[in-house]
Amino acid sequence: MAAATLSKAKRRKQSNFGQDNLVGYLFIGPWLAAFLLFTFIPISVSLLLSFTDYNVLANAGEFIGLDNFQRMFFEDRRYWRSVNATLKYVVFSVPLRLLFALAVAMLLNTYRRGVGVYRAAFYAPSIIGGSIAVAVMWREIFGNDGLVNFTLNVLGIQGPNWLGRPETAIWTLIILAAWQFGSPMLIFLAGLKNIPKHLYESAEIDGANAWQRFLRITLPMLTPIIFFNLIMQLISGFMVFTQAFIVTQGRPLDTTLFYALYVYRRAFEQNEMGYASAMAWVMLMVIALLTALVFRSSSYWVHYEAGEGA
Amino acid sequence: MARIEAKAPAGLSAPRVIRPAVPWYQHQLARSVFYHAVVGVTCFFMLYPILWLVGSSFKPPDEIWTNQTAIIPKDFYPQNYPNGWAGFGGISFATFYRNSLFYATFGTILSVSASAVVAYGFARLRFRGRRIWFAIMLVTLMLPTQVQIIPQYIVFKQLGWLNTFYPLLLPRIGGSAFFIFMIIQFIRSIPVDLDEAAMIDGANKFGIFLRVILPQLTPAIITAAIFSFYWTWDEFLVPLIYLNSPELYLVSLALRTFSDPSGQTDWGAIFAMSALSLLPVFVIFISFQRYLVEGISTTGLKG
Amino acid sequence: MKRSKVLLILLSIAVLVLPTLAVAAQDQTEVRISWWGSQNRHDRTIAAIELYEELNPDIDIVYEFQGWGDHWTKLSTQAAGGELPDIMQHDYARIEEWVANGLLLPLDGYIESGAIDAMSIADASLAGGMVDGQLYGINLGNNSEVFTLDTDAFAAAGLELPPLDWTWTQFEDIATQIQESLGIHGIGVLTSDQLWKSQYMGCCDQWAYAADGMSLGYEDDQPLIDYYNMLLRLQDNGGMQSYEDSVARGDQGVEAQLIVSQEAAMAYHWSNQIVAVWNAAGAERNFVMYPVPRPEGGQSQNYIKPSMFFSVTSQADQPDEAAAFINWFVNSVEANEILEAERGVPISSVVRDALLPNLGAAQAEMFNYLGIIEMDNSPIRPADPAAHSDVISNVFGPEFVEPVMYGMISPEDAAPFLREEANRILGAQ
Repeated sequence: MAAATLSKAKRRKQSNFGQDNLVGYLFIGPWLAAFLLFTFIPISVSLLLSFTDYNVLANAGEFIGLDNFQRMFFEDRRYWRSVNATLKYVVFSVPLRLLFALAVAMLLNTYRRGVGVYRAAFYAPSIIGGSIAVAVMWREIFGNDGLVNFTLNVLGIQGPNWLGRPETAIWTLIILAAWQFGSPMLIFLAGLKNIPKHLYESAEIDGANAWQRFLRITLPMLTPIIFFNLIMQLISGFMVFTQAFIVTQGRPLDTTLFYALYVYRRAFEQNEMGYASAMAWVMLMVIALLTALVFRSSSYWVHYEAGEGA
Repeated sequence: MARIEAKAPAGLSAPRVIRPAVPWYQHQLARSVFYHAVVGVTCFFMLYPILWLVGSSFKPPDEIWTNQTAIIPKDFYPQNYPNGWAGFGGISFATFYRNSLFYATFGTILSVSASAVVAYGFARLRFRGRRIWFAIMLVTLMLPTQVQIIPQYIVFKQLGWLNTFYPLLLPRIGGSAFFIFMIIQFIRSIPVDLDEAAMIDGANKFGIFLRVILPQLTPAIITAAIFSFYWTWDEFLVPLIYLNSPELYLVSLALRTFSDPSGQTDWGAIFAMSALSLLPVFVIFISFQRYLVEGISTTGLKG
Repeated sequence: MKRSKVLLILLSIAVLVLPTLAVAAQDQTEVRISWWGSQNRHDRTIAAIELYEELNPDIDIVYEFQGWGDHWTKLSTQAAGGELPDIMQHDYARIEEWVANGLLLPLDGYIESGAIDAMSIADASLAGGMVDGQLYGINLGNNSEVFTLDTDAFAAAGLELPPLDWTWTQFEDIATQIQESLGIHGIGVLTSDQLWKSQYMGCCDQWAYAADGMSLGYEDDQPLIDYYNMLLRLQDNGGMQSYEDSVARGDQGVEAQLIVSQEAAMAYHWSNQIVAVWNAAGAERNFVMYPVPRPEGGQSQNYIKPSMFFSVTSQADQPDEAAAFINWFVNSVEANEILEAERGVPISSVVRDALLPNLGAAQAEMFNYLGIIEMDNSPIRPADPAAHSDVISNVFGPEFVEPVMYGMISPEDAAPFLREEANRILGAQ
């Protein structure tokens, strides 16, 4: 999929492809070494295990061909519920998070008194982590008389029992994700800081208003960062685990049984690592495909100062 | 984005109506008040979870579940802090903090510096196999750790590294795929003319990386450091598997070791230690984020 | 300039806090042990271990501990890596799966030789650790299901306390009346798989699983259907907390039981949890423990269940030393004065008698309750089959309890489906 982004370089590539072979490998050497030493074997093994019925406690398994895939696609009702929950989460949480993150980053990208405090406040929900206290906290907030329903009440709306209803439970996790927009926000802030000030100065001289400056300068200059955030939010959206693990445990009626949570359960509660690996690899294929599509689209909308294939 | 739109017309329309009577700085003041009001109220909602956590950490044991929604405890009970800090069987949180600070600091330095080096390789150098390695690197992000843990455990067991920090730290010599990709995107938005100018001055690739690229990466590196510190601080699955001796436990592990759903749990102590565990992450954030605000304009090089 | 300063400060912090990377080797015999629990259990167990090391200077007990869920993730990884500790804390619902995979050692030899002294331990207390006729776990505390009643709430509602052999009909009336007169629930949800497993003992002297674990052990779905119809009635009239509400609150441990916050007048839990419940509710509250209600004309469905075991793993380097430690752990009065029955009522009668005079109110109630159960109970049932966790987490919960309690399917339709799916999984083991 990297091929897609870098493919614009084809013309230049002809002339100078491979000119930095030695230096290039020196620079990526640390990653390559760590990959070959520590990651390559576990990943390959997990691929092999996905064609077996490997059980963790037995520490043994037999080659069973495509049975795991047959089972997940045609026999496992919970599998499809987990697909359903994950897709719903990705479709809503990724755009929401990105939108919040960009909006707040724009709002906080000024030098004003107290802006550091505000940034910390907006980043705060993103650092509260996965401890057991956090589960209690989120449940309290979405509880019958918690913060969310209290606020709705002030606005004259009778809030539902968020975490108890199959229609609303997943929304608490989506809202939670939108709430925790701190990391994409910070990346946007860093990206905004990298936009050369002189571009704005000359635009102002040309009489562009704030909205025009945003459309003509900020947005295009930020596309590499938007692209990065989109890819990463997509990947982490599909792999979402902690929120469901600590807050809902997949309930009710499997409406929040995220894919990675189901993989974990099969792997460590039923010890069916072979089946879990097969599920994980199916998800990998889906994410890889989507990522490749986004990469392919990037040549139409991502703007690199350094030129396309630098 | 909606907020940005809303703010601009408000600012523009105000002076048109009252310009004759009000000098411009009051108009600025109005804008400022408006800004702080909007952002401040939103902040309360953002901070609520933390306020609740801190509030609950001062509730006595028989109030935690009987007065659950309140932020301010009826009885102020600071004893939760020493109770929690005591840890387990004489191994206190002082030990866990020492371990976590060590791990998060070294882990962050390793991850971030390696990521910057590797990112430069991918972003600016043209070598055979670049795309395929980059693709493989992204794919490693797409497989859940849970299905890699057992083979990885066996690898580290063969290396004799169980119950040490090596399995946690050494894989970081290659950086992290997330930060590598992120820094690549930042490097690619830096114009190449600077590289070329430096090249004409006789700099080699290392020189360009150190003297041209690196100084412009400050915002990206600061951001990566903030994330890396927090993610390392919060990590639990891998430390759980590799660290056996309680003397090596991290804060994140210790927090999960407090409670037993079927036994007696000191929730006050959990809340207290959870609240306290946010502190280092917060301090790192506060002290680093200012580099994303003021400071040296890294883009000044060009302008 | 600032950046290098920050880096310097960070580096110096890191060096200052640099912990020892490896654990020093010793010439003592090392026995590794791993358990799950909460802070209270960790403190007590470590103190007991320190005492043991003092008494046995040639032994070094190397311990690991973690929370409940993490325990199994960690230990199954260690099992696959051949790195299990000598002693591991084990659970009734999982032990058979571990035995089936050859990961635990039978302890019968140690009992015969007296290395683990069973003189003051009733056979019934050991029976829970038997799998296929051999002993794989030493019970660390007796436990039984309990209905805890808030006597003040009963008084406020003008209700008499029921007889100890109360029936489900009486229970339903009480729960309904509490809701009517006090406006609080009678009890929290009663959909635990534990109640399903033991429920057939009351009416039919059967267990949820067949003796060979290859199928369900009951023939008639009707008692299960009747039971869930009762739960639906109670859910409707508020006599029981709604399932929806229990999902919303989540599984937050014993302290979050409705009886603690006075949102219910009764609670269903394990007997050793009374200490946590009472502690969270406040010492001024008054509770009394009751057996599980029985069907009209039926027998008790309570049985004495090991709260947890210590097992010796087949990967142990020092099985003999491990057995010696377990022996001390269950039989020594000194050890149990430190442990204070936190894992349930001790199985040794000598230890029990020694602890009795110094018990707190909650613990005294627990000891007393176990005494009642010992006089009227069902025989201990075989450990759960290896596929138990699969049946519960993939069928019983998501395909039976949840759809029934959310009203998506009737108990009449769900019960045969549960049977069919559970039998398929059990039969495929």
